[in-house]
Amino acid sequence: MSSDKVNPVAPALDRADVRVRHDAGLGGAVRGFIDRVRSGDLGSLPVVVGLAIIWTVFQSLNPVFLSSSNLVNLLFDSSTVGVISLGIVCILMVGEIDLSVGSVSGFASAIVGVLWVNAGVPVVIAILAALAVGAVFGVVYAALFNRLGMPSFVSTLAGLLAVLGMQLYILGSTGSINLPYDSALVVLGQTLVMPAFVSYALVLAAGVAIFATGYSTAARRRAAGLTPPSLAGIVARALAFTVALELVAFYLNQDRGIPWMFGLFVGLVVAMDYALKRTKWGRSMTAVGGNREAARRSGINVRGIYMSAFVLCSTLAALGGVLSAARLASASQQAGTGDVNLNAIAAAVIGGTSLFGGRGSAYSALLGIIVIQSIASGLTLLDLSSSLRYMITGAVLAIAVIVDSLARRSRVSHGRA
Amino acid sequence: MSNTSQDMPPAGEPVLSLRGICKQFGAVSALTDIDLDVHAGEVVALVGDNGAGKSTLVKVLAGVHQATTGTMTFRGQPVTLAGPNDALALGIATVFQDLALCENLDVVANIFLGKEMQPYALDEVSMEIRAWTLLNELSARIPSVRVPIASLSGGQRQTVAIARSLLLEPKLIMLDEPTAALGVAQTAEVLNLIERVRDRGLGVIMISHNMEDVRAVADRIVVLRLGRNNGIFYPDTSNQELVSAITGAADNAVSRRSGRRQAAQHNVTGEARA
Ligand SMILES: Nc1ncnc2c1ncn2[C@@H]1O[C@H](COP(=O)(O)OP(=O)(O)OP(=O)(O)O)[C@@H](O)[C@H]1O
Ligand SMILES: [Mg+2]
Repeated sequence: MSSDKVNPVAPALDRADVRVRHDAGLGGAVRGFIDRVRSGDLGSLPVVVGLAIIWTVFQSLNPVFLSSSNLVNLLFDSSTVGVISLGIVCILMVGEIDLSVGSVSGFASAIVGVLWVNAGVPVVIAILAALAVGAVFGVVYAALFNRLGMPSFVSTLAGLLAVLGMQLYILGSTGSINLPYDSALVVLGQTLVMPAFVSYALVLAAGVAIFATGYSTAARRRAAGLTPPSLAGIVARALAFTVALELVAFYLNQDRGIPWMFGLFVGLVVAMDYALKRTKWGRSMTAVGGNREAARRSGINVRGIYMSAFVLCSTLAALGGVLSAARLASASQQAGTGDVNLNAIAAAVIGGTSLFGGRGSAYSALLGIIVIQSIASGLTLLDLSSSLRYMITGAVLAIAVIVDSLARRSRVSHGRA
Repeated sequence: MSNTSQDMPPAGEPVLSLRGICKQFGAVSALTDIDLDVHAGEVVALVGDNGAGKSTLVKVLAGVHQATTGTMTFRGQPVTLAGPNDALALGIATVFQDLALCENLDVVANIFLGKEMQPYALDEVSMEIRAWTLLNELSARIPSVRVPIASLSGGQRQTVAIARSLLLEPKLIMLDEPTAALGVAQTAEVLNLIERVRDRGLGVIMISHNMEDVRAVADRIVVLRLGRNNGIFYPDTSNQELVSAITGAADNAVSRRSGRRQAAQHNVTGEARA
């Protein structure tokens, strides 16, 4: 395939400089990947390596760990905090933080419990109300940040306590509200899984979509006289993705199958990834996270971008809270407390979203939460107390942040920002 | 590109005029009572010592800073710039001294920042082609437009910043030390570009410390000193006169230095004759 020699006389627009090595084909793709990793552009490599280590360790300690049924449970548990973590990715993209996502999620679950079960409001309205309240918190944080210059670290730390207070207040003395077991919401949170053929079809569709977008991009680039990516690489990538995920789906279908709640989470991740990578809004988010003043001078509505990031983060936190209520079939005073906050933030960072802003991906929420939940699940299987669990999760977060900082330093010295 | 000439005011009409612009940063008066006119098809060079207020003036015109007092007229209309967006919307493009690029984004993303094609499904291919076209016009030496700005040299970054200012067919271009980091060929290319832009009937404000470049392209040289207007000169003004306007004294470091050199040369030739 010599498709990169569009015009033998004048090189393609992007191939004029002789100093750059242009990696073509499969071998080139591998070489480019190694270069990127060396320079500190790690992407999702640390998380894949970490996951392999964690799974090996826990599997050798307890053979149940990698069983289909445990993995299905893991996916159920991942979805709730995963959605919260997706919001954290948004806020980290602009270089800010929301420490109150746990409280907001707990408050949202309490709202659903109180409105739906206690007040008899239709469940859909109750959920929408919870999401709207989440959005309002985001608006408040953004207003404090934009108008008063209050660091998000402080405003959301205050929010953490204040919102927890609201949660305790509306739950009142009963402390806990049970959601009806046979309701659609609880079924979604506890048992609803995709039929096997649906899971296979979805994976196949995703694989085809990857190939189709890759192919059409290559075609457009070729037509425009730019060097297209190699067709072999596109096919290999789509094929590897499809085969790997079909195998995973097959393995999970040996037990109950893939939870619809996890499907919802993945759907949100894909949508967010599109929004961050392929829209003007996403570009602006990245720009604001990278250099706020430069973004402002380019005419970007920086305040609006911060507003959207804060609102998305708290709204997704509220949605995560609703899903955890569904998962636990209850809205309690404990919902959203403990390690929810930290897990959500840790997942985003472990997955490769930088705490320093301007660098990250929606997929880091997905990968990171699987790491976090694997640790939690493994430790639960080993019957370890939550004291140890907290210590280990804390250590993992510390390692993730160290990797992030080191990678950042290496990127700076290799000129990759 | 073709219609810019018809909706531009006829050559000689002022594109921009400033009257009595003041800018205070707390106790510091960075600009005091600045008057400035830029006509269509004219290159105005803004010169002055370090800290004279040149960049501050450019930032006021770019909407980055808001003037404390003073009026601004753009193409006959009085305007106020509440933010960079207002300036961009009017067609005022700026290359800032500190470039204002996002290091974490690649070259294409930086050139199109805030003006992306197809906001809901970014048209990367068209943007990349347009980016290459703009960069080639500037004889840019950039290995790839898909690398983050962080990996480019100072001059390459400057070229990217200049390319970005040309993207939207502006009516007025302001270049704050555009050639400070550029190589010989790229500097020549930027000076050519300034002339091309002028010939299309746009107004250009150029800041530079390099008097040779200034004389080469400027139609008028506006001197700022300590935040005030300190005279308007033409390219045929003698160096002596310009320098004393910039530094504010006939007896200054530059003239003393050149005096010393002349004396030394005189001595050398004198000795050779002896
Ligand atoms: N954001 C700011 N806050 C406070 N003072 C400022 C600010 N920006 C500029 N100044 C002050 O305004 C004055 C003019 O600065 P300016 O950057 O306009 O100088 P300049 O003419 O561009 O100099 P140079 O040739 O070094 O680029 C300086 O005294 C500077 O300290
Ligand atoms: Mg300056």
